[in-house]
Amino acid sequence: MNNQDINTNQEYKYGFTTDIENIRAPKGLNENTIKFISKMKKEPQWMLDWRLKAYNRLKNLTEPNWQKPKYPKIDYQNLYYYSAPKSAAEKPKSLDEVDPKLIETYKKLGIPLNEQKRLSGVAVDAVFDSVSVATTYKEELTKKGIIFCSISEAIQKHPDLVKKYLGSVIPLTDHYFATLNSAVFTDGSFVYIPPKVRCPMELSTYFRINASETGQFERTLIIADKGSYVSYLEGCTAPMRDENQLHAANVELVALDDAEIKYSTVQNWYPGDKDGVGGIYNFVTKRGACRGKNSKISWTQVETGSAITWKYPSCILQGDNSVGEFYSIAITNNHQKADTGTKMIHLGKNTKSKIISKGISAGQADNTYRGLVDIGKKALNSRNYTQCDSLLMGNKCGAHTVPYIKNKNSSSTVEHEATTSKINEEQLYYCNQRGLNQEEAVSLIVNGFCKEVLQQLPMEFAVEAQKLVGISLEGSVG
Amino acid sequence: MIENFKISLKEIDKINLINQEDKNYRIKNLEFFNKKGFPTKKEEDWKFSDLREIFSKNFKKIDINDTYPEENKFRLIKEFDHNYILLINGRLIRSDFKFEDKNKIKITGYKEENFLREKSNNPLICLNNALSNEGYNLVVEKDYKFEKVLVIYNLFNEDLSEKILNNKNKIIVKKNSELHTIEYTINRSKNKFFNNTYENIILYENAKFKNICIQAGRSEGYFHKFLNGSIKSDSKYSSFIFSSGLKFNKQDIKIDLEGKNSDCEIKSALFLNKEDHQEIKTVVNHLVPNCKSFQKIKSVLDSNAKGVYQGKIFVKDIAQKTNAYQLSKALLISENSEFDSKPELEIYADDVKCSHGSTSGNVDENSIHYLMTRGLTKKEATQLLINGFLKEIISDIKSETIKKFVENKLEFQVYGY
Repeated sequence: MNNQDINTNQEYKYGFTTDIENIRAPKGLNENTIKFISKMKKEPQWMLDWRLKAYNRLKNLTEPNWQKPKYPKIDYQNLYYYSAPKSAAEKPKSLDEVDPKLIETYKKLGIPLNEQKRLSGVAVDAVFDSVSVATTYKEELTKKGIIFCSISEAIQKHPDLVKKYLGSVIPLTDHYFATLNSAVFTDGSFVYIPPKVRCPMELSTYFRINASETGQFERTLIIADKGSYVSYLEGCTAPMRDENQLHAANVELVALDDAEIKYSTVQNWYPGDKDGVGGIYNFVTKRGACRGKNSKISWTQVETGSAITWKYPSCILQGDNSVGEFYSIAITNNHQKADTGTKMIHLGKNTKSKIISKGISAGQADNTYRGLVDIGKKALNSRNYTQCDSLLMGNKCGAHTVPYIKNKNSSSTVEHEATTSKINEEQLYYCNQRGLNQEEAVSLIVNGFCKEVLQQLPMEFAVEAQKLVGISLEGSVG
Repeated sequence: MIENFKISLKEIDKINLINQEDKNYRIKNLEFFNKKGFPTKKEEDWKFSDLREIFSKNFKKIDINDTYPEENKFRLIKEFDHNYILLINGRLIRSDFKFEDKNKIKITGYKEENFLREKSNNPLICLNNALSNEGYNLVVEKDYKFEKVLVIYNLFNEDLSEKILNNKNKIIVKKNSELHTIEYTINRSKNKFFNNTYENIILYENAKFKNICIQAGRSEGYFHKFLNGSIKSDSKYSSFIFSSGLKFNKQDIKIDLEGKNSDCEIKSALFLNKEDHQEIKTVVNHLVPNCKSFQKIKSVLDSNAKGVYQGKIFVKDIAQKTNAYQLSKALLISENSEFDSKPELEIYADDVKCSHGSTSGNVDENSIHYLMTRGLTKKEATQLLINGFLKEIISDIKSETIKKFVENKLEFQVYGY
């Protein structure tokens, strides 16, 4: 291996910016900003009260500091908390009315916003900076009673559902970034699947941070009512800037009796350049509650972007026989830092969880798996299986595993295993012999290493993710 | 009382000090302890063992110990020939090296100058730094291999009640030498007390040191031991922990593999019962290439017992060709038992083989069923399986007589069940 080549940066093809006029809230975090956001969104009073409650709570909280990646202090008063494309102030009724520049942006990203592209079969809600721009396939979904819209729209049109479930999984009083999000969230997606409905297509959201000096705080709420099923995809990109941008999203999932939610993420925020300048701070709180019997929540994530990733998609297994799954690939290169993993909290009887985590670090990156498996006293006959594998490329990067395992009853079984190694030289040699160059060989081997997770992704994403794995590691081996 | 537990600085004046510098160091440490108090679960290293909570539940008051009885009659182990040293409440009383060349061994009581003035963030180490005044120093000179095992009788006397004991031990094994010890704790006190030990072990080139830690019987004592080991090239440290039957025990082991080809082994088999709480915490630092470390911790947990394993393997960027392994297995045989673990890897070198595993669950039902079809009762079947589970660790002991001795102790604990 040639260490000199390790630093060569890969190409970030989503690094463009779009020149669109923006409406922004005044800089800084204070009550007025929150009132401004709420007013811009034409929110009812209860929502504003909820935000202010979160803001008051925030004043008493401090940022957590236990995570491995350290970052320079964020000046919360020097951020814009609301930035929206001007043309979106009056919401477009159909895609024809959407700013053509926005459509162009999404075309560049390869997102099938255009409803004509029925073949792709994916319903999309696109969030640009802080505002949901367009949601496709609405009619078809409405026929089945499925609600798929921006959260702002849901607050106005379905206040009962929002009131009932918002903050029920991630309470207002959670940690610093989650509470910050509760106070200032600007938009996000809302999904409600009625009882016994199987959502006929993948639902998808694409997030993009465009404006500078903004933080993106979106909030996603997905509710799968009794006996329903939904698969949801999330993708993210941001322009290349030499400043660090904060992204602090909250995602809440609720699965009632016999319901299943599959949540997949391909996170490709701008990771900063090869010297570690710029990039997104991705401090995200994702949590799902398997509230009903026999419910299931499955998280799949491919994390290739962001300067710092800090997220732990979790499952609270409350219902008896509920199942939680977590499949993750985290790739870090250059100066990227990832501290990611999951929490599986077993409360109900016969609950099962499975964790498969693959970490790959190259360059000077640090990659940490941090997870919790907590089997409660009443979670009889529960089961957990955890496997964490790490791959190291070069001796300037780090791979860490920090699992917390608690088993509080004798009828449950917990298994955890982890390995750390480098790419097998013999495998590389074999691939070279068969005519693959070094980079192709690495990409092939790494894809094989990640196979268990990649095969969990829906088709459309799996192809993209496989390419992404290859691109992220470009230049990491000589 | 325990919540706001503080120790008067006057306690330091009672210690025979060497100089002002030592005194200042001790004061600084005591002030740190008084500020922090007994550690709580808010501290990462104490996440699973909230000592302050445990103490406030079990102690009404606690003072610094100041009684050291002279000599107590006690029975030597008869099963095998051995050298011994006798400690009472941590103080070195006498030693007997009748099987060895006495010119090659140095043994003395606690000496201030033998320890570096290190800074620590662990309140219990600070408490020890501030108040330790007893212990022993053992030096094995170079090119000497012990003929027989050395038994360290660690005796606690009858009158000990609601006291804190702080002691510091140091063991140095010089070049090409070998030492094998058994730390044998005999507790005569039926009361609660807290023994806080700091141990420093240095193995020079090509040295070997093996230690077995075992109890004579059940004890109401609360034990904390911090072990700071430094292992030079080609030397090997192995430790067997069979400390079942203690009310509370935390072994905090830090091993620095400082020389190439050094090797460290930590193995443990524990049977915990009746609200016992035991934690094994290890940090193995691989600081140079070509080192090996191996950890295997097996625990069986019965009624209301809690077992904890926190193990960390750290591999420095230059420590290529490291081979590190960590395994923790726990059997929970009572509904109210709990096992928590945190097997941690922190790795900065790429050409390494590091892995860990951790499992916890009940005894395999199919195995029990099989044994029952062969005519055993459920209880017998369970006991047999538990015994087999724990015996795997004992089978690694080479000496037959010592193996038998440990086996008997352990069997007694399992069949008491």
